[in-house]
Amino acid sequence: MTLDAIVDGISEVACDVLVIGGGTAGPMAALKAKQKNPKANVILLEKANVKRSGAISMGMDGLNNAVIPGYATPEQYTKEITIANDGIVNQKAVLKYAQNCYKIIEELDSYGIRFLKNENGDFAVKKVHHIGTYVLPMPNGETVKKALYRQLRRARLLISNRYMATRLLTGTDGRVAGAIAVNTRTSEFLVIKAKSVILCMGAAGRLGLPTSGYMYGTYENAANAGDGYAMAYHAGAALANLECFQINPLIKDYNGPACAYVAGPFGAYTANNEGARFIECDYWSGQMMLEFFNELQSGKGPVFLKLNHLHEDTIKEIETILHKVERPTRGLFHEGRGTDYRREMIEMHISEIGFCSGHSASGVFVDDFGRTTIPGLYAAGDMASVPHNYMLGAFTNGAIAGEDAAEYAANVDFASFDAGAVALEKERVLAPTKREDGIPPNQIEYKTRRLVNDYLQPPKVTRKYELGQTRLAEVRDDLENRMMVRNSHELMRALEAHSILDCADMAAFASLYRTESRWGLYHLRTDFPHKNDEDWFCHTLLSKKDGRMACEKRAVDPYVVPIAEDERDLYDKQRIRASA
Amino acid sequence: MSDPFESYSDLDDLAEQLASDDAGERRVAVMELADLGDPQAIPLLARAMADKDAGVRLQVARALESYDGPAAAAVLVTALTDPDKEVASAASESAAELKDPASADPLFPLVEHTSPFVRASALRALKELRRKESLKPALQALRDSDPQVRVQAVGVVGFLKLEEAVPALKSAAADPDPLVRRAAISALTFSHTQTATETIAKGLADSDWMVREIAAETLGSAHGEGAAAQLLATLSDPFWQVRLKTIRSLGKLKHKPAIKGISEALGHAQANLRKEAAAALGEIGDPSAKPALEAVADDPDPDVRKNIRWALQQIAIKAAASA
Amino acid sequence: MPLAPTFTTVPVVVDDAKCIAEKGCTVCVDVCPLDVLRISDTTGKAYMAYDECWYCMPCEADCPTGAVKVNIPYLLK
Repeated sequence: MTLDAIVDGISEVACDVLVIGGGTAGPMAALKAKQKNPKANVILLEKANVKRSGAISMGMDGLNNAVIPGYATPEQYTKEITIANDGIVNQKAVLKYAQNCYKIIEELDSYGIRFLKNENGDFAVKKVHHIGTYVLPMPNGETVKKALYRQLRRARLLISNRYMATRLLTGTDGRVAGAIAVNTRTSEFLVIKAKSVILCMGAAGRLGLPTSGYMYGTYENAANAGDGYAMAYHAGAALANLECFQINPLIKDYNGPACAYVAGPFGAYTANNEGARFIECDYWSGQMMLEFFNELQSGKGPVFLKLNHLHEDTIKEIETILHKVERPTRGLFHEGRGTDYRREMIEMHISEIGFCSGHSASGVFVDDFGRTTIPGLYAAGDMASVPHNYMLGAFTNGAIAGEDAAEYAANVDFASFDAGAVALEKERVLAPTKREDGIPPNQIEYKTRRLVNDYLQPPKVTRKYELGQTRLAEVRDDLENRMMVRNSHELMRALEAHSILDCADMAAFASLYRTESRWGLYHLRTDFPHKNDEDWFCHTLLSKKDGRMACEKRAVDPYVVPIAEDERDLYDKQRIRASA
Repeated sequence: MSDPFESYSDLDDLAEQLASDDAGERRVAVMELADLGDPQAIPLLARAMADKDAGVRLQVARALESYDGPAAAAVLVTALTDPDKEVASAASESAAELKDPASADPLFPLVEHTSPFVRASALRALKELRRKESLKPALQALRDSDPQVRVQAVGVVGFLKLEEAVPALKSAAADPDPLVRRAAISALTFSHTQTATETIAKGLADSDWMVREIAAETLGSAHGEGAAAQLLATLSDPFWQVRLKTIRSLGKLKHKPAIKGISEALGHAQANLRKEAAAALGEIGDPSAKPALEAVADDPDPDVRKNIRWALQQIAIKAAASA
Repeated sequence: MPLAPTFTTVPVVVDDAKCIAEKGCTVCVDVCPLDVLRISDTTGKAYMAYDECWYCMPCEADCPTGAVKVNIPYLLK
């Protein structure tokens, strides 16, 4: 038998709540939907296997946005995220997260996920700076996925692994009607009718190309190709602030997180080639990334993670946390190069670009219940627009969306949809399998991503963006008319190439729309170098209108946690360099 | 077309597979029992724990992390005492994930087991279960010959947060092993009795720098003016790490007599320490710190400069409020 | 369709002597987020079928017999 041979087949199932994506937000959404309405039929669909899928497949080394009573308040957190995001936030959603996340930490703790505790059994929250304290290490964070999976099995949820959702079905009345998926090993189709759908499909992490040239050496789990962004777009949902890219400081070449926030409380910091600190900004933000980028470009680059001033015992402690959890090959990587934290600083670099609200603010537009602009359609986690929500945000907002989606599903019937949509989608998906000759998906993908690096990587130059759009259109022509696959696995990669190209187009379109600079490096436009609050203190919403990409402005909702004028300036002032 | 959903294996089928002559097949059956998530799998796991193949038993010890409650804990007890080291250490990890207080019952007898590894593992698991019945055996274990056992025993006592255990923790804070002393000081965080504060303060003069560090840190959490006065001594500790925690605690306690000592750290070579000193002076917010802060406003480190600016702001805000 | 075979290095290496895939074990294949591992029809053992590795480690960590080793892909090593 040929490996992953293509089989012809289609079946249909129906459920109350369909959760797409079994990483972090998805399992929590499915669990909460089931708990909210035990009679509801809940399906959890996953492109890989729920056991080890998503951004935290190998675990997580800690929480960096834990709002724990006694250490930080929800209002304080909301304020900080508002400032870090240059004011463009839906505060209601941020505040709701902050108010609910402690409950979720306690729940995760009850699942057997171990957070760092002192000898009184209280959470050992670590201080990062004087403004707020949000870091809670997870010394056994490699067990996160296992503990989640256990809960799913106990609840006897319907889990469907190795099915990649390709398109949403929308009802004739504008509501969501379900989704179409294809098996990644057999190419058989599954049509899932659903009363409500929650998208938890992660970041668009395979957008830019890592400088190592290894296509899967991305910062995000390389399975997160932006399928959710593309699906939401084609269904007509609005996507917010896509021009606010994700760019992260990473260990050079390894492309894994430097985890300064884990090592930070132990005294480690980011330094230039003189071993001196240079970051002025208080927050993990585009502004911080700009300072990082500027230092890299200057004569004081490269940039390093510095630990060699710490005591041997402290370094040992950091190594145990960093080398075991989240990206455990990190220890192996350093070993291969003979790097020792005790002796030398660790070279860092910035990542390829992507969409990810988990770290920045680019996501499918949602309100404080995770509702998108399509009735019955929800989004949570890295792909939903609640800014800087990280892993704990995925859990918390997944829970919020799961409960609301269960309630919604209990009060509606299935939306009726055009039967022809399934046949059309089947034809679109299988097109590359019908060709005898053509371009393999990995070449289409490589070219797309190389163009993203060449033309879309900030600083953003209008002329380069326009050239990029022209070149990406040429790739689209190849993708639609000449891409060819030989088996089901390659078909999955071909479908991901579609998502990646869609995301590249959206990144370019959204960036050109906002004619100002904002969020530091994330949206630094050389032709419009200044922040322009008068015209652009707003969200931008991108959506598909009459088959074409369109952008519009959306006002920022009135703040529920007021930010005084001088507080906004406070951080700008702090960035002023020393006179000496 | 095959069923699109993950299956929940049949217990009878797995029982049959567990009787296979092939150890590999038995091992695969145990893995499926782990994924089942159904407590009915536990009796089968118990049977598999008697397997002659250590690989199968190792798989059982790992599978048990998926289960909780006294029945699962009873199988873990067997696994913890397995002659194979790998099996026992996997069981120790699984036992640390138990959350159901009832799981403690089968574990209690292990606290007196002949192997120190078993004793320490049992105590480690008992910590999270927070059963009052654990106190007595844990207090006894504080006198164990093995330091790892004593460290875990301190945790069991500390997690219970009982004032009656403070004297025992005080003795543990004088343990010959520094790891036990560290744990004991951390375990005293909850108590604000004079004995607790005095014991922690005594840790400031410990021979081990990490004990001094945790003592300095712990005193910052609501141990009052008395504690603050004690902290002045570690402002000149030979380890900058200890001084850093000392300064942070003095800032938290807003201890004005420390201003002069803290100000001296503003000139230290270690930027981490300078930054902490500036922040602490801001938290205290007394105008007498102003000249020292202003003198170093041009510190080469941006984080230090930021904290100096913040501190000066705090001082100004407080001055305006009291005016 | 032209085929131009080139040899390559793969990050995930399986020790056939330890692998128990022929007994029905599919753990490493199941847990791979990029679905790059398969069980060979000829040897009955697991192997890396597609060089698309995120070097994330579940295959190695979850292998019951310690048969799987994840190496850093050469291009970024």
